[in-house]
Amino acid sequence: MKRSKQLFKLNDKFKLNDRVYISLFKYGVSIVLFILLGSLLIMSQGVDPISATRVLFEGTFGSKRAFGNVLRWTAPCILTGAAASVAFKAGVMNLGIEGQVLLGGFVAGVLGAFLELPPALHILVCVIAGGIAGMLYAVIPAVLRLFFNINEFITTMMLNYVANFLTQYLTQQVLAGGLEVWGYVNMQATPTIQKSAVLPTIIPGTSATLAFPVALLIAFAIAFLYKRTIQGYELKQVGENLRFSKTGGVRVVRSFMTIFLLSGLIAGIAGGIEVIGTYKKFNTGFAAFYGYDGISIARIAELDSIAVIIVSFIWAVLKAGSMQVERVLQVNRLTVTILQYIFVLFVAIDYAGIYNRYQDRKIKKRIREGEL
Amino acid sequence: MFESILRLSFAVSTFAATIRLSSPILFGAIGGSFNDRSGMLNIAYEAVMLYSCFFSVLGSYLTGSPWMGMLFGVASGFIISVIFGLMVYTYNANNMIVGIALNSSAWGITTLLMVLIFGVRGSFFSDRIVSFKPINIPFLQNIPFLNTLLNNNVILTYLAYVLVIAGYIVMYKTPFGLRIRGVGQNPAAAYTAGIDVKKYRWVSLILMGIFTSISGTYLTLTGISMFSENMTAGKGFLCMCAISIAKGNPLKILLVCLLFGYSQALVLVLGTLSIPTQIVSMIPYVAVILVLFVNGLKSFKGTADIEV
Repeated sequence: MKRSKQLFKLNDKFKLNDRVYISLFKYGVSIVLFILLGSLLIMSQGVDPISATRVLFEGTFGSKRAFGNVLRWTAPCILTGAAASVAFKAGVMNLGIEGQVLLGGFVAGVLGAFLELPPALHILVCVIAGGIAGMLYAVIPAVLRLFFNINEFITTMMLNYVANFLTQYLTQQVLAGGLEVWGYVNMQATPTIQKSAVLPTIIPGTSATLAFPVALLIAFAIAFLYKRTIQGYELKQVGENLRFSKTGGVRVVRSFMTIFLLSGLIAGIAGGIEVIGTYKKFNTGFAAFYGYDGISIARIAELDSIAVIIVSFIWAVLKAGSMQVERVLQVNRLTVTILQYIFVLFVAIDYAGIYNRYQDRKIKKRIREGEL
Repeated sequence: MFESILRLSFAVSTFAATIRLSSPILFGAIGGSFNDRSGMLNIAYEAVMLYSCFFSVLGSYLTGSPWMGMLFGVASGFIISVIFGLMVYTYNANNMIVGIALNSSAWGITTLLMVLIFGVRGSFFSDRIVSFKPINIPFLQNIPFLNTLLNNNVILTYLAYVLVIAGYIVMYKTPFGLRIRGVGQNPAAAYTAGIDVKKYRWVSLILMGIFTSISGTYLTLTGISMFSENMTAGKGFLCMCAISIAKGNPLKILLVCLLFGYSQALVLVLGTLSIPTQIVSMIPYVAVILVLFVNGLKSFKGTADIEV
């Protein structure tokens, strides 16, 4: 009797107090390892890590322009992160965000270049059409999964490659062929979009566009969906325990489809916004890494939309800073990419599980020694 | 146009290319089938293959022997699979996210290593990288059709097909294979039967690492003798697809790999025609989806459903 009481107490204590410590420990350990490995990687290229860090911060917070650049990178990170967290939270393994971003970007680029519309409407049309393109592209794996029981992680991954080649084909062969009339030379991109379709900047003189507040809005909307609505709760249930939610009367097929469409829509919007906001034209293959960045951000943020915003900001600081570090100190910008993914690895470790195992061992030891 | 497409699609040289192009996918798929059957979804094939590509080139460059290159490659594959195992089995990390992190960092790390060690960007080639030499089988020389099809391949090509049979025998005719399948199907039952579940999962994971890295060696040290940035370009994922379609049966894997190899051979031969290259390059990836689709037709019930 006494023993079970004691055990219960230990368990209880773990739940109340140690969760915060575990979280702190998790990110603490990851950051320390990140800094250590980063220093090693930077030193291996013959550069002093401290000066590299200084350059990184100068390149991100040093001037208005630099900070604008950070916000510019934050927007796509939040959007792809949101697209990934929506999907993964409901148990849908959408690894095809890159393809959906590409298609959304392509459609927005084409509409931006060829449609004649008043400014605000033009932007709206481009973004929404981009979103719909991404959404429709997500329908393929969804249908294959629901009707033919084909696991979506393979189909989405293959559809990334298909989207890449498809947009390349459309840009280079279909569009470029008819565009010689326009004095169009660059085969790697669609023509520049019209002025009416360019997303306005929020800080004048920088590359920070309206994309940032839009991304914030979408992230908050998703947080609201999951935390405050019944539909969101159902979707979360589907992700956490499919069998339970099926027995409980959740229409799993419908929620599965909804998630796929929503994830594709956000990814498509991300592509559209990137194209009309930053590049002003669709560059083939501009979305390399966007998808896996999004999935990694979502994972670090533990699939929480609000945390996605914070992680995206840090991710963007590293991304914008790495380019500055490469320019000033000739440190390869891939160094930062590598470190980002190594950080993902460290965060993926289940520290709570390790802690539990350690606690178990301690209790077992005490039982063996006759204390309990 | 249509005629020449048909003629090229069924030419003997296309089938010969199929045999060559299937073997790298075969190595990874057969090795990985054990990992798959042990019940662990592992998507780090791309990472293992890319590291092995780099280290095979490095080994061959340093020692001048393709076999040493292969040893370097296998060592790197072993290390990556051990990292995966440590993360997933020992530290309970999510297998999907570990796979993604390994895959995505592999591109950066191999490129960075190329810059640091060889001092070049993009791609690296040198006379000092020694590849495997094609083997000439004398008795095949006089048979017209088979000579083009089977002769003058490197030793790894033949080994890949031997591996299929070996893989089938190990998987279905030995206690080891039975235990691996048992561990995957019902770990609790396997544990009750006295099988060390963890040990079998680790062994199958390391098998995957070793054989997938031979795929990487094959990609670099047969013919082209070079390493270029992200040179695997989805071949690792093809291994995974083959396993998933064949549900880990080595003989079915052979069929699927031949199909994938054929679609890649089509990319090579049809690229010489005036068809847009982007459309041709799409073939292997569309083929994967089509094969999955045909394979999935039998579970089509007319209504949408998710199997629990």
